[in-house]
Amino acid sequence: MSELKEQSERIMELARTAGADDAIAEVIDSSVSQIRFSANRVDASNSWSEKHAIVLVAVGNRTMSTDLRDLDNAKQIVQELVSLAKKSPPNKAYGGIASGKFKYSKGRADRAIKNLRDPSRYVHDAIAGARSEGAIDVGGTMYVTHERNGIASTGGALAEAERAHVRLSVRAFAQPEASGQTVSCNPRLSSLKAREVGARAGELARMAENPVQGEEGKLDLIMEPLFLGCLVQSVGSMMSALRVDIELSMFAKKIGKRVSSDEITFVDDPIMESTSSRAFDHEGVPTRRNVVIKDGVLKTYLHNTSTAKKFKTRTTASAGPLVPTIFTLATQPLAFHPVVLPGGWKAEEIIKDTKNGIYLNNTWYTRYQNYSTGDFSTIPRDALLKIENGEIVGPVKNIRVSDNMLNLLKSIDAVSKTSQEVFWWDEANPPATLPMIRVKAMRITRSS
Amino acid sequence: MIDEDVAETALEEVLSKETPILAEVRVEHTSRRQVSLKAGQVSNLSSFRDLGMNVRVFLPQGIGFASTNRISRGAAKDLAAQALKLAKVCKRPVPLSISPEPAVKTDWEVKQKRPLSDVSMEERVSYLKEVDAGTLKAGVKVGGRYFELADYETESLFANSEGSRIRSMVPRLKLETYMLVSSKGESEQSLREFGASAGWEKAHEWDLPHVMGAEVLMLKKMIDKGKKIKPGKVDLICGAEVAGIAAHESCGHPMEADRILGREMSQAGKSFVSPEMLGQRVGSEYATVVDDPTVQGSYGYYAYDHEGVRAKPRYLYNNGLFNEFLHNRETAASMGVRSNGSSRSDGYLREPIVRMANTFIAPGDFEEDEIFGSIKEGILMKSFTEWNIDDKRYNQKYVSREAYFIRDGELGGPARRCVLEITTPGFWGAIDAVSRKVEFSAGECGKGDPMQSMSVSMGGPMLRLRSVMLK
Repeated sequence: MSELKEQSERIMELARTAGADDAIAEVIDSSVSQIRFSANRVDASNSWSEKHAIVLVAVGNRTMSTDLRDLDNAKQIVQELVSLAKKSPPNKAYGGIASGKFKYSKGRADRAIKNLRDPSRYVHDAIAGARSEGAIDVGGTMYVTHERNGIASTGGALAEAERAHVRLSVRAFAQPEASGQTVSCNPRLSSLKAREVGARAGELARMAENPVQGEEGKLDLIMEPLFLGCLVQSVGSMMSALRVDIELSMFAKKIGKRVSSDEITFVDDPIMESTSSRAFDHEGVPTRRNVVIKDGVLKTYLHNTSTAKKFKTRTTASAGPLVPTIFTLATQPLAFHPVVLPGGWKAEEIIKDTKNGIYLNNTWYTRYQNYSTGDFSTIPRDALLKIENGEIVGPVKNIRVSDNMLNLLKSIDAVSKTSQEVFWWDEANPPATLPMIRVKAMRITRSS
Repeated sequence: MIDEDVAETALEEVLSKETPILAEVRVEHTSRRQVSLKAGQVSNLSSFRDLGMNVRVFLPQGIGFASTNRISRGAAKDLAAQALKLAKVCKRPVPLSISPEPAVKTDWEVKQKRPLSDVSMEERVSYLKEVDAGTLKAGVKVGGRYFELADYETESLFANSEGSRIRSMVPRLKLETYMLVSSKGESEQSLREFGASAGWEKAHEWDLPHVMGAEVLMLKKMIDKGKKIKPGKVDLICGAEVAGIAAHESCGHPMEADRILGREMSQAGKSFVSPEMLGQRVGSEYATVVDDPTVQGSYGYYAYDHEGVRAKPRYLYNNGLFNEFLHNRETAASMGVRSNGSSRSDGYLREPIVRMANTFIAPGDFEEDEIFGSIKEGILMKSFTEWNIDDKRYNQKYVSREAYFIRDGELGGPARRCVLEITTPGFWGAIDAVSRKVEFSAGECGKGDPMQSMSVSMGGPMLRLRSVMLK
């Protein structure tokens, strides 16, 4: 048995010996290096190295979880954790942990990424690419990540996985108000074309030069995969059964009902090769491909064992982190790798077919007046290109999409044949593989 | 107690190999508890302890930062070597410089009347159940009652190559509430945060059973009796919560020097403000916005920043003029000024960057009835729900959670989901009266890459804006 599996099992056994009925231990050993750049230069180079274990223990329905950071003192900390659980009030939402004889797929981390010592040349290539297209100011980040996880549970989970990836994000400015943003997500180093990523950001920036004030009204919106990825963050989160349970979801009570146009099939696919592929969820259940929306109809929510029990169904192997993480609810089931299946349109055909619309490169700050109804707005950024009669006629600025998310999903009438994996900062997160889409007649607003 | 030797070992390792502009070490120990209550029942209990450290090295060619949760002299040496190596990767064409700041040797802590670590999980759960009971007592249909209570105590040692040695201990407590009120087939949501740098005593000062009960009654009133406004120009009174979010979003963020210099360009964005705009007008004479980390008990409180610079109030907009940016030592040097102590990190794993603390609009000398008195037709927007702002911090939107019509100086019935979509100079330029009393609300501010969630607060007095477009 390999080291991380062994360590996870040892921690799980420590919990059992201390009196836990159920226990899950996930040991995570990660090293991440990052280069941050702006103004065409590298600003800072960072590295984070962590080895820790996420542990959940349950005594009956009294639960306690921790992020065990001091692995040398695991025995003492686990004993304290179990003791704390015994003294805690019952957790009525706890539905136990998954049990069974699990079989896991084996992924392999790209050796070239694991061996990459100095990624700065890719950053310089990206900057050069953007500048070759006319950008005057280029910034972004590059991440190189290598992570190994081991997991063991009293329910029979015992597994180990490894992944490695590189992610590059480039924002290029051709003028103070003319920018383009691109990203590249790569589970294999050989697929990173840093110069091309930079060049496309530069090209978009140049296309966005001399923007004019955008106007209010209803327009067709063509969304790049990156833009869609920023919306998928909140849409995917609302597919979580916990969000549905606390009524912070527009998908509540809509299983079997139409929630988007029939152009849309939305899948959470942690199995396909991507930068967020996973062999098991945070309960140790082997991951699987979950079809959440099929041809516009909502098929399921995303579940862990506890939410599945409450909803009288089975886990979808979507258990999220067992301890609270930044800007998500504690124990929230989640999508690991959202995918919108490709459609039948060539990207250029979508533009040609649009009479009065805007091509949208990127967005941020998507916020909801009411999650249960889907009323929201988002602020497009970077290249926003006006389309008239099938042609891009020039850039606009200072607009906001203020509409309803269910209406947006139902108004999608074109989906491209090609897809791209996107991940950007905290907006297009988690990584998702998405096509370009067109949404009919969305409401555009602006400052008065 | 944090072992000072590991910090000294890391610094010695850097200095034995290089003569950096600056080397810093931060060692942190945090204990943290979190409890979630869903519809009156416990849904999560967590307890953590974390110990880790980082080394940051400034060389003329760039900055290297390395962190780990492994603590030992050997790990400290490895980390120092790693940070040095990373700094050399940067190859900046123009040599980096930092502002000169005095070396500081001190200890500081936030005193707790009742230490957070003395509170049992049972007591935390009982507290949340009281909040939940107070909510239900209002007799309103509230789905999705979800409360997350988190508290943590962070002990830290900061040491740098200039001789600074600062020990600190900060307890923080926060509660996030999520509620959905339904009536007559419609709904309104409330997402709120409460936070303080204090002990458990603060949790009771918030009086949340009463506050949450009042909140759900208010939302029901908005649904049952709220009327949409007719879009057009009106006089608008912003309550403290709306004043606070505007201070944070359209003053605090655009006045962050790292953003102005482009350091955050590919994530949080740039700023509509440029260095040469200092002294120019952005708003009326009533627009004075302060960011002050030294507000006692506040959620954004600190005495020294994460570069060892003493905290002090920063007057970002002063009487309507761009006055002072938020700086760390690097941005200060690039603009020829001294740091004003704005460098913060959300934990030892991440590099410190320029952040706000407690950002608020300075009080004026108007009584609240004077502010209402001169309004013929207007709106009071007390609080907000949806909000956002563009990445240059120029176009912002606030949608009311609680709002009322004003007619002939008197408060009228509820107005539902009023939308203010306005430019930054448009907002700050329209203020013609500011009340005396400042109130704060807590928040988690997101910035940096990877995202760092920072404890901040924001607030203000009541503001009157003349003739702004509401939809």
